[in-house]
Amino acid sequence: MGRKESRTGNLRNTLLALVLLSPALLLFLLFVVIPVVQAGYYSAFEWNGMGPATQFHGAKNFVRMFGDRIFRTALLNTLEVVAVSLVVQLPLAFFFALLVGRRKTPGEFTFRSIYFFPYVLAEIVTGIIWKFIYHPRFGLPTVLARLVTGSQMEIGLLGDPNLAFSAILVVVVWKYIGFHMILYIAGLQGVPKELEDAAVVDGATNSQVIWNVIIPSIRNTIIISAFLAVIGSFNIFDVVWALGQGGPVHSTETLVTYLYNFGFRRFAFGYGSAVAVVIFALCFVFNLFYQRYIVGGQRNA
Amino acid sequence: MRNLSRIIRVLTASGFAIVMFFPLYTNFIGGFKTNGQLLSDPFGLPTPFTFEPFQTILGRSGEFWTFFYNSVVIAAVTILLTLFCSMAAGVALSRISFKGRTLLFNFFVMGLLFPLTVAILPLYLQLRNFGLLGTRAGVILAETAFALPLSIFIFTGFFKDIPWELQDAVAMDGGGVITFALRVILPISAPVMTTVTIISLIMSWNQFLLPLVVLSNEQTFTIPLGVMQYQGQFTTGWNYIMAFITISIIPMALFYLFLQKYIVAGLTAGATKG
Repeated sequence: MGRKESRTGNLRNTLLALVLLSPALLLFLLFVVIPVVQAGYYSAFEWNGMGPATQFHGAKNFVRMFGDRIFRTALLNTLEVVAVSLVVQLPLAFFFALLVGRRKTPGEFTFRSIYFFPYVLAEIVTGIIWKFIYHPRFGLPTVLARLVTGSQMEIGLLGDPNLAFSAILVVVVWKYIGFHMILYIAGLQGVPKELEDAAVVDGATNSQVIWNVIIPSIRNTIIISAFLAVIGSFNIFDVVWALGQGGPVHSTETLVTYLYNFGFRRFAFGYGSAVAVVIFALCFVFNLFYQRYIVGGQRNA
Repeated sequence: MRNLSRIIRVLTASGFAIVMFFPLYTNFIGGFKTNGQLLSDPFGLPTPFTFEPFQTILGRSGEFWTFFYNSVVIAAVTILLTLFCSMAAGVALSRISFKGRTLLFNFFVMGLLFPLTVAILPLYLQLRNFGLLGTRAGVILAETAFALPLSIFIFTGFFKDIPWELQDAVAMDGGGVITFALRVILPISAPVMTTVTIISLIMSWNQFLLPLVVLSNEQTFTIPLGVMQYQGQFTTGWNYIMAFITISIIPMALFYLFLQKYIVAGLTAGATKG
């Protein structure tokens, strides 16, 4: 910004700018800024959304929230999504990119398209497709188990509170892996071929090339993809919703399903807003950390 | 040696491809089965093929076309509105100097920090205050508002790199910023407009939480909402659900297939906003 600050900033210019900005400003204020500020305000009230919010609650909503076992499950599940995204999904996506993004495997375009396809689906559609795959009577685990054991057993992963969330994590990895692969493939195209060749000439092994040449060269891409994975994980909702709406017995709640189930469905707008504040705080703190320690530590991010 | 490593690579890639494609395969073939066949042999090929589920969904029931129409209308208007608002704002923030310009730019960009989920409860109340609850317009306005920070960021960045000499030349002929915007900026903005269009389309087409909260009448449902409610009906056979899903995937699949180059550019642009 600010290329020609010397240009006359007269009243006419200001008015013209305001006219041009007004549609965007109006929508942004009405539907983003005001609701976000309101969420902060309502979080201190007990309020069913009808009439003015008068029952001031101070920090009680937050105290109640952190004392709620279901909220703690939701928070832990959400953090589990973050962990699995970073530890399982991203490395696997990177592996996919190395496998089909470097013109070394025949049929790369086809493989890439197949890996990417799940990302094209609406989250809710993804959830429904997997609901059938996990179906206790006709689903894949049941069919496989029957093949192996020959018995008429049923395996209902989504109905089992101990296993349901792990089953959902599989779907999350499946759904978003292609997106991160595409980011990495785009990053790989910027790795200087000469650098890689030189390393090979010097007798570097494959894994040495990957660790010492490729990964440092696409550091920015890795940082961005990790950032998107974390923020996306904090806000995960649709897939979880389609696969059981947070159940069975709240074992698969995430922060946003918790917000929906305990804010919307029960018209507890104050309490729901307090949950929203926690989600925002997580995103905000993570963003600060990211800007300060990760982006701040380098140039050209 | 080189051939061996190629073979290993193809085999590995194929193995993953089978795993990745299996759920989609199940869904695609499921729509061509009778329900009895689907439930007795969920993962085998259909014998014989039946087109009845597809015919029913595209023909008799008519629900699908309502959902499809709503999704198209909401996405199209959201995209147009987003382009209009963010391009106008982008011009103001990049080509006019006025007091508070940087402040306003930062104000919009700050919006990137607010996910829709954080604002969803008060947003619902806000839409209720305006009488927009239950309307497609409510979904459109909210979706547009949340698309603005990123698109304003993209447009402002693109516009400010246009040489000032061009603007001066237009000024010499007596043209102001608006003339400059229409004659110079608009014609060269096609690539960046494509990027913003793609980002908004994907967001709008797949959006679930917002329509779930705003829309209540089935006549206004979008495809994601429609498919969720369709599979929730107890009487619906899984073969119908799968056919429904297959049809709903087609527009997006075609879109990705033909615009792949732009989409990757768009996603990467969206991702690298930092």
